[in-house]
Amino acid sequence: MQLKQTFYLTFICLCAGILPANEPLVVYSHRHYAADEELFASFTESTGIPVHVLKAGANELMERLKAEGERTRADILITADAGRLDEAKAAGLLAQIHSEILKTRIPEPYRDVDSQWFGFPRRARVLVYAPDRVNPEELSTYEDLAHPKWRGRLLCRSSNNIYNQSLLASMIAAHGEGPALNWARDVRRNMARPPQGSDRDQLRAVAAGLGDVAIVNTYYLGLLLHSPDPRERALAKTLRIFFPNQQDRGTHMNISGGAVLKSSSQKDNATRLLEFLVSDQAQEVFPAVTYEYPVVEGIEWSDLQKSWGSFHADDLNLSQLGEDGRKSVQLFNLADWE
Amino acid sequence: MLKRWFTRTFLHELDLWSGTAYLLCLLILLPLFALLLGLSQRGPMWEHLADTVLSGYVLNTLWLTASVALLSVLMAVPAAWLLSHFDFPGSPLLEWAMVLPLAVPTYVAAFVYKQVPEAAIPLLIHIRSTYGVDSYLFAEGFIRKGVLALFMAGVLYPYLYLSLRAAFMVQRKGMIEAAQVLGRGPGSVFFSIALPLAHPALIAGISLISMEVLNDYGAVYFMGVPTLTVGVFRTWTGLGDLASAVRLAGLMLLGIVIVLAMEGRHRGRARFTETANDNSTPLLRRPLSRRASIGALLVCLIPLTIGFIAPLIQLLYWAYLSIQRFGNTIPWQRMGHSLLLALGTACVLTFIAVILIYAQRLHPVRWLRQPIRLAGIGYAIPGAVVAVGVMMFLGFIDQRFPYYTFIGSVYAIGFGYVVRFLAVGLHPVRAGMERVCGSLDAASLLGHSPTHPPSRINLPLIRGTLFFRRPC
Repeated sequence: MQLKQTFYLTFICLCAGILPANEPLVVYSHRHYAADEELFASFTESTGIPVHVLKAGANELMERLKAEGERTRADILITADAGRLDEAKAAGLLAQIHSEILKTRIPEPYRDVDSQWFGFPRRARVLVYAPDRVNPEELSTYEDLAHPKWRGRLLCRSSNNIYNQSLLASMIAAHGEGPALNWARDVRRNMARPPQGSDRDQLRAVAAGLGDVAIVNTYYLGLLLHSPDPRERALAKTLRIFFPNQQDRGTHMNISGGAVLKSSSQKDNATRLLEFLVSDQAQEVFPAVTYEYPVVEGIEWSDLQKSWGSFHADDLNLSQLGEDGRKSVQLFNLADWE
Repeated sequence: MLKRWFTRTFLHELDLWSGTAYLLCLLILLPLFALLLGLSQRGPMWEHLADTVLSGYVLNTLWLTASVALLSVLMAVPAAWLLSHFDFPGSPLLEWAMVLPLAVPTYVAAFVYKQVPEAAIPLLIHIRSTYGVDSYLFAEGFIRKGVLALFMAGVLYPYLYLSLRAAFMVQRKGMIEAAQVLGRGPGSVFFSIALPLAHPALIAGISLISMEVLNDYGAVYFMGVPTLTVGVFRTWTGLGDLASAVRLAGLMLLGIVIVLAMEGRHRGRARFTETANDNSTPLLRRPLSRRASIGALLVCLIPLTIGFIAPLIQLLYWAYLSIQRFGNTIPWQRMGHSLLLALGTACVLTFIAVILIYAQRLHPVRWLRQPIRLAGIGYAIPGAVVAVGVMMFLGFIDQRFPYYTFIGSVYAIGFGYVVRFLAVGLHPVRAGMERVCGSLDAASLLGHSPTHPPSRINLPLIRGTLFFRRPC
């Protein structure tokens, strides 16, 4: 390649960033599922409104939105947990949406009290155990995992992970900061190894016998059962799910949710997209493809989810998770939960 | 005095080239200044960090850096010595193949090597049932951290290998021959002459490896060894305290500046060792016996297998499984983005490097040389730290420039890359320019003014060095 061409290429690369894109409805999304793209395509097909998706980590999207402020091109923010949506709400980025469809179809715990964000699929953070080493009668609650009988038997990922931060936030909401800190400290002490890897790695470690019980989201077991690696599929078949706290507040739930941005110039179309995501057509996709639970009642679960059984979900309003999320990182630091 | 210098020297020498070079240096250094300014700010979470996790981050960082450096020495030194002094089957191929691990990012290696602690689970279970939970936890940590240090050394040793091999190649034949004539055995020659002579290269290679270890986020996070880099991200995003994250990043920056200064001083003192005698001929490679050849092959193949062959085989196997189950779903769009970003950054970097080095050639004065040298410091700073500085700087710009938002744009990441990797562009351009130093005068003789764009004479001459990165 000639030098001249190299410098022309430099010029083209510089220009590529400022060329106006065809950007009808812009979605900033933290979700990385092919199913979402299919859903957006269906929306475009039925409404004629094209959707442009920008995917990134939740933190990056939040920083970007804060930096862009009123100038953002984004119309919708989608994250994989309620805490981040609440953070966006606290930063004054979200618009209040008055939609009867969203209000009636989404149960109260899974939408913002001020109608600024809405959950679509639900995620349950459960206990997965090896049935050859754990009698399900031994399992009861998250709180019970602090008991010394679990010393060297538990597995969980790093406290950097938002699912763990939300779980601890739910413990703060249920018991207060002091007991939540003691719980985190005891659970960390009971771990079979320092926190590391992903939820799927915890499942593999239980299957291999390193620990007996892992704290994970249900759909990771679904993903492992459909892994391209036959060894992983075989390992996943040996594991069982237990829904904790069935006798009291219920299993900790989180959502993947969306919100319309205050600065959006297309709030009506953006609201239509959110409404589409709670339609029967869209809700049926979550259990079948991503193994998440639908947020709308009456939508049929997948056979896999049916095999795990029904459960009582914690009805804590997820707005609470945002308030206690930052606090939970501090408590994890104090508890030496890396 | 300053005023006199400014009017008589600075303004006198200021032209389009030096002015542009100054502006570029300033732009590149501003994010790092922002970081240093941030050092004085105490975020709301700083006390909390100091009371809880800070000592752990520092200890993990020191431990990992030292372990990876040591293992890299064990991998690179024998291989570089053997491949520069001896001839054995496969040595011509290995000579360049030993560099291949540089193509494996540490976090990709982490995905591959996490299987080793998983494979050790039966052993760990045995330890737990026989010796108790405490022994088991110790063994688990030992294996996991050992594997982390081993594979990081496996993918990073080429930095040391390259600098050592270059040093071994130019070592004076006479000195080694004299030692052999005087009755020194090969081991003694290596330890008492070759290695001490290559001391600066050893230190330079270890410094580069240490910086890469500090730079890593993915592998250490995944393997559960939180270092300062993990701390920067966690404090910023988890605790939402940018000021404390900046302080952590600034601490790392200070540590790196100290290491670099020590390395520079050491190099300055040991400079005599690097001067190759023009009259000396490079060492002829001695053939090895069959038995010794097998040993030499093993010494080279073990690090190459850890850093390249094993990860490659595993990745190919996963790709095969994935294609078999899900079909041929190659993410062309993402590959295109990566390629465009890499290519675009490389072009911009080269462009800037040419401007800076050419300006320096036109004005060979200290007040231009030093800022340009300083602008290359980003290569020694972890990407996470550079990212924090760039975010602070662009955040400041975004607040005052209402027409475009830089944060989150392709320019922000491009700018971050330029700040971080400028040294990679500066080095080959400088080396190329130094080699063609005569042609600048030749260009003048041919009627080109010194301020004429360098495209006609100099650039074609240094084209080779622009396209291939040379090891720093």
